[in-house]
Amino acid sequence: MKALILVGGFGTRLRPLTLSVPKPLVDFANKPMILHQIEALKAIGVTEVVLAINYQPEVNRNAQLLKRLEAKLEIKITCSQETEPLGTAGPLALARDKLIDDSGEPFFVLNSDVISEYPLKEMIAFHKSHGGEASIMVTKVDEPSKYGVVVMEESTGQVERFVEKPKLFVGNKINAGIYLLNPSVLDRIELRPTSIEKEVFPKIASEKKLYAMVLPGFWMDIGQPRDYITGLRLYLDSLRKKSSPKLASGTHIIGNVLVDETAKIGEGCLIGPDVAIGPGCVVESGVRLSRCTVMRGVRIKKHACISSSIIGWHSTVGQWARVENMTILGEDVHVGDEIYSNGGVVLPHKEIKSSILKPEIVM
Amino acid sequence: MGSSEESVVAVIMVGGPTKGTRFRPLSLNIPKPLFPLAGQPMVHHPISACKRIPNLAQIYLIGFYEEREFALFVSSISNELRVPVRYLKEDKPHGSAGGLYNFRDLILEDNYSHIVLLNCDVCCSFPLPEMLEAHRSYGGMGTILVNKVSPESANQFGALVADPVTNELLHYTEKPETFVSDRINCGVYIFTPEIFTAIQGVSTQRKERATLRRVTSFEALQPANRSLPTDFVRLDQDILSPLAGKKQFYVYETRDFWEQIKTPGMSLKCSGLYLSQFRFTSPHLLASGNGSKNATISGDVYIHPSSKVHPTAKIGPNVSISANARIGAGARLVSCIILDDVEIKENAVVIHAIVGWKSSIGRWSRVQASGDYNAKLGVTILVIIIKLMTFLYEPGESVLPNKTLNVSVQDEIIL
Repeated sequence: MKALILVGGFGTRLRPLTLSVPKPLVDFANKPMILHQIEALKAIGVTEVVLAINYQPEVNRNAQLLKRLEAKLEIKITCSQETEPLGTAGPLALARDKLIDDSGEPFFVLNSDVISEYPLKEMIAFHKSHGGEASIMVTKVDEPSKYGVVVMEESTGQVERFVEKPKLFVGNKINAGIYLLNPSVLDRIELRPTSIEKEVFPKIASEKKLYAMVLPGFWMDIGQPRDYITGLRLYLDSLRKKSSPKLASGTHIIGNVLVDETAKIGEGCLIGPDVAIGPGCVVESGVRLSRCTVMRGVRIKKHACISSSIIGWHSTVGQWARVENMTILGEDVHVGDEIYSNGGVVLPHKEIKSSILKPEIVM
Repeated sequence: MGSSEESVVAVIMVGGPTKGTRFRPLSLNIPKPLFPLAGQPMVHHPISACKRIPNLAQIYLIGFYEEREFALFVSSISNELRVPVRYLKEDKPHGSAGGLYNFRDLILEDNYSHIVLLNCDVCCSFPLPEMLEAHRSYGGMGTILVNKVSPESANQFGALVADPVTNELLHYTEKPETFVSDRINCGVYIFTPEIFTAIQGVSTQRKERATLRRVTSFEALQPANRSLPTDFVRLDQDILSPLAGKKQFYVYETRDFWEQIKTPGMSLKCSGLYLSQFRFTSPHLLASGNGSKNATISGDVYIHPSSKVHPTAKIGPNVSISANARIGAGARLVSCIILDDVEIKENAVVIHAIVGWKSSIGRWSRVQASGDYNAKLGVTILVIIIKLMTFLYEPGESVLPNKTLNVSVQDEIIL
C-alpha cells in the first residue's frame, strides 16, 4: 500500500526552527514530525511513502536522515518535488506514477503538519464498508468558522458539501487532512495548481462518492509554535490514556513528561506538566520546566526557569535565566546567565546577553 | 586657641511625613530617615560621619515627625556611638534656617564653637573633619560643601560661584533657569555661632519691612512680596544669596559621590554607594563567601547577622539584607534591598528591587526591573505584605496568573 505526505514549503511559520532543518524533520515529542506519520503508516502495512515537497531536497544530512529512516523502518521513502506550487491536489497528480500500481488499492494522503491518533486501520475498514471513491477524516472543533467545515449525513458519513469559513453555523466538523483515496481520484486531478477542498472533493461529494469519518482522539495542526505547544499537551495526554511507559515518573515530575533515556536531570528540579526533553540534554540542578520542548543536545543551567517555550537543538540556557511566554530559540542559541526572555524569537547561532522584555524577533 | 577648648554640635534636618512624598510608597510604612540603606537607617550614615569630628559633643535631629517615632532609634544610637543624640520636633515650618534658629537656645546652651548642619536625605562621604579644618582656615561665618555636577543637571540644585583661590562664596542662586555654575550646594554646612545673628537679622528686617513699607496693590500680589512669617527663614534665598560676596561664606569641594535620596529608586543606588564605601571604612560589615560554607557573594553585600542565606544562593552585587530574612537554596539577588522578615524561596530571582517587610517570594519566581534609578518604574518595589506565588502551577498552591505578575513586575503600580 502507498501513501503521500503533503509536506509543502519551507515552514515559515515554524521559523526559526525551520531555518536549520526542513519542517518535516523538526522534532515533536522527541521524534521528527514526519516520523510520527511514517510510523503510523508502516504499522498498517504501507510499503512506500512519497513526500510531496516544493523545495529542493538538500543533498546532505537531511537526505541521509531519510535514508536511515528507510533502512530502520524497512519502508521506501521517495520525494516528489514541485517545480511550481501545485496547491493541495496538484502534488497528487505529480506523484501519480508512484502512487498507482496494478493492485488498484487505495492510497493514503496525509498532511505533514497534522498530529493525531492516526486510526488508519479503522479508516481502511470504513472505506471498504461504504464502497465510495474517497474517505476523509474530520475532527470536531470549537470554532469551525476558522476552517473549512464538512457537512455530512450523520449515520452514513456521506459528505453533502464543503463550506469554507462559514459565517453561520453549519456544522462543527472540519477537514482533518487525512484522506484515503481510490486511484480513480487521480483521474480527476490535472497537473496544475488545484485545491483538493475547493475543486476535487466537492465534485466527488456531488456524485455522492465521498464519505467522512470522525477522528477519534486528539488532532492538532502543529505548523505554528503556539499550536505546537498545545499539540504536545494533547499528544502526551493521549500517551497517558494508553498508560504508555514512555512517560517519565518521579518526585520531580508533574503531569505528563517525556524524557529521552540519554538525557540527564539534576537534583532539586521540577519538570512538567507537558514537557519533552530530547536526547543528550543536560538539565542541571534546581531547574523548573513546564509546557516546553527541549530539543536534542540542549543544556539548561542551574536554577533556570522555562515555560511555554521551545528550545532549539544544542542551545544553552544560562544560570537563573527565565524563558517564557512563547520564546522560541533556534539552533545553537545561548541565553546568558540571569537573562529574561519574554516571547523572544531568536534566530540560530545567537548569543543573548541582554533581556528580551517583550515579544520580539532577535536576528 | 586650643582645639581642646572647642566643642562641636551637629544638627541634622530630617523632614516630616508630609514632606518627601516622592519617597512613597516606602515612606508610607516607615519615616524616610529610618529607611535602611546598606543595612543601617538612612540617618545613621550622617550621624556616624559626625562622630568622626573631634570634640563632637552633641547631635540634634530636627523634624516634623512625632517624637515617639524616633524615640527608640535615638536612644539606641546614642548608646551605640556613645554620643548624645536627641530628636527635636518642630511645631510649625520655619524654613531651612529658621528651624535651626528655632532651637538656638538649646543649641547654644553649651558654647559650641561650631555648628554642623546636615540634611538627612543627602548621600555622600561627609568629609566633615577635613571640612572643619578648612572652615577654621577660612575664618568665615560658614563653609558650604559643594560638588561638581554635569552642566545639564546643575539647575536642579543651588548653584554656587566661588573664588578659585580664596574659596570665598561669590554668588549663590537656588535652582536657576539658566546656567550659573556647575558647582552645587550639597546640603552640608559648618557654621560658627554668628549664623544665629545673621538669621535673626533676616527675621528683624522682615518684621520692619512689613510694618513700614507701602506697596501698590499690584506689587502686593507678586510672590516675592507675599509676606512670609517673620520667623520663616530660608538658608538659601535669605542667608546665602544676600551674603554671598561679603567674605562671610566659603566653599569646600568634595570629589566623592554625592546624591539626593528623594525616590525609592535612588535609595537603592545610594545603598550601593554606602556599601562600596564600607569597603574602606568598615569592611567587617560586608559579607563574604564562595559557596562552600556560606553563600556565594559577588561585590558589596550586607547581610544582617540574624538572617539566613542558603549556601547555594548567590548574592550581589549591591545587596542589603535586613533582619530575620530567609534566603532559600539557589536564590539569586542582584541590586536589591531586602527588608525585615522577608522570605525568598528556592531558585527565585530578584533584580533591581526593594522587597518590603514580611513579603514572601515563591519558588522560581522572578522579580525584575530595568535598574534605571531615575525612571519612575525603574525599580520594583514590593512594600505591603505581598505573597508572590511561583509563576508556574504547583500542585496544592494557588496560581497567580502569569500575565498579571509580568505586568506588575515591569510596568505597573499595584495598590
